[in-house]
Amino acid sequence: MSQYDAKAESKAGFNPFDTAVAQNPHAHFKRLRDEAPVSGSPPPFQNFVLSRYEDVRWALKHPELFSSSADAVPIGQDRPLIPLQIDPPEHAKYRRLLDPLFSPKALSVMEDDARKLVNEIIDRFVDDETVDFHAAFAVPVPCTLFLRLMGLPQDHLEQFLTWKDQILRADAGLDDPIENHKASAAIRRDTGKAIYEYFAAAIAARRQDPTDDMLTYLVNAEIEGRRLTDEEVLDVCFLFILAGLDTVTASLDCMMARLAGHAEERRALVEDPSLTVGAVEELLRHETPVTGILRVTTEPVVRHDVEMKEHAIVTCLLHAANMDEREFPDPETVDFRREPNRHIALGAGPHRCLGSHLARLELRVALEEFHRRIPDYALVPGVTLEYTAGIRQVSPLPLVIRPAGTVGGGN
Amino acid sequence: MGLRVSVDPDECVGHGRCYEIAPDVFRADDHGHSVVISAHVADALADVARQAAAACPEEAIAISER
Ligand code: HEM
Ligand code: SF4
Repeated sequence: MSQYDAKAESKAGFNPFDTAVAQNPHAHFKRLRDEAPVSGSPPPFQNFVLSRYEDVRWALKHPELFSSSADAVPIGQDRPLIPLQIDPPEHAKYRRLLDPLFSPKALSVMEDDARKLVNEIIDRFVDDETVDFHAAFAVPVPCTLFLRLMGLPQDHLEQFLTWKDQILRADAGLDDPIENHKASAAIRRDTGKAIYEYFAAAIAARRQDPTDDMLTYLVNAEIEGRRLTDEEVLDVCFLFILAGLDTVTASLDCMMARLAGHAEERRALVEDPSLTVGAVEELLRHETPVTGILRVTTEPVVRHDVEMKEHAIVTCLLHAANMDEREFPDPETVDFRREPNRHIALGAGPHRCLGSHLARLELRVALEEFHRRIPDYALVPGVTLEYTAGIRQVSPLPLVIRPAGTVGGGN
Repeated sequence: MGLRVSVDPDECVGHGRCYEIAPDVFRADDHGHSVVISAHVADALADVARQAAAACPEEAIAISER
């Protein structure tokens, strides 16, 4: 047994979040799975990467060994993000409170509204010859639906998009890297404060004047016989912004980029919209928009003869796991009828995506309505797509579109 | 030939794959976790019940032939 597998590192060592890797990750992932299933980076950093389906699933199902506490994902917040950065057993209390909000039953009432809002977004560009799918559709769809769910006014959309980008991609653009780091951190802090103030006002309004939306539910919800504090409600809202917007945008980007480049798959969806449910699952697997998630070890853990020290940061590469031929026969093939499809694009174990049913609803409705309105589309010839590392957005994603009913369309 | 199914509540975390695939065998409770509608699965539903069990990322569904 070795504490650090230098051989594995030199054979398959690469940064899974590198921009070059992000363009074509499947080959890298295969080497990692085959040659270094527990791949380490040199001491003293002690970072590790898990890439096989069985290993990733095992780690996610053992939170007592692989913790999600704030040590794993420091993004500058003062308090732990609920429920993402709370470990079991405490974690279950919050999930019991939050799960009903996001259950299929609770969300089913939203489907008609979602369809209507998605169509309003399509109306804005349907008559154009080309469209940047990312900016015109993939970004506004989840944000619009989030505002609807929370009972917040739609004209706050622009403000929300700005805040979200400042939190996730704050960059002051200064030349000096240290100064830039400081200035960027300051932007994130200020934005965090602005979001907290905005929600504090909205929460106060709901306490005064309850309405029928998710904020009101949160404000009135009880955990072990007591109401949530304002801070706790704020933490949950903050996490929704961090976890529920870019992830859906990235999923829509990846899915449409794939379909635009594979006309036979696009046509299959147009001809048989009932395939959309399976297509969402299979494209979540094949594209895995959230490349990997982080954990920190609570004690030394050995796997495949490699020791991961206590407090080691462990990347669970969901995308590599979802392309593992040990679990998915012929993993490169996209098959909307694949079965079984136990993909873990939405995580696994206790932290499995809280918003998974909302995400699935959004993706299904978006794909159904887009293909109904615009059955014929393709990438603008000559463009090279660029995938962001980590959360795999494709910006821009320029499409030539031909709406339904156009001569020569719908082939 | 028949089939018995059960969901282990300690393992189920509510992915919802099972009741999406086999809505006549499983349903969601208020938390989105899975509940077996009837432990004895009718022959006509046996295949779809097996598919659903195989799709569970938590391996929370046990199946036995009876
Ligand atoms: C297709 C889009 C989405 C993808 C790919 C995705 C992916 C994920 C993944 C992989 C995790 C596990 C994180 C971990 O274990 O460290 C997660 C957790 C989470 N997701 Fe999503 N997500 C999506 C949409 C959403 C939406 C729409 C929401 C809405 C609020 C949401 C809220 C959350 C929350 C709150 C958690 C933390 C759950 C916990 O720690 O118990 N996600 N998501
Ligand atoms: S697929 Fe598995 S984890 Fe998901 S609801 Fe069904 S039994 Fe529970």
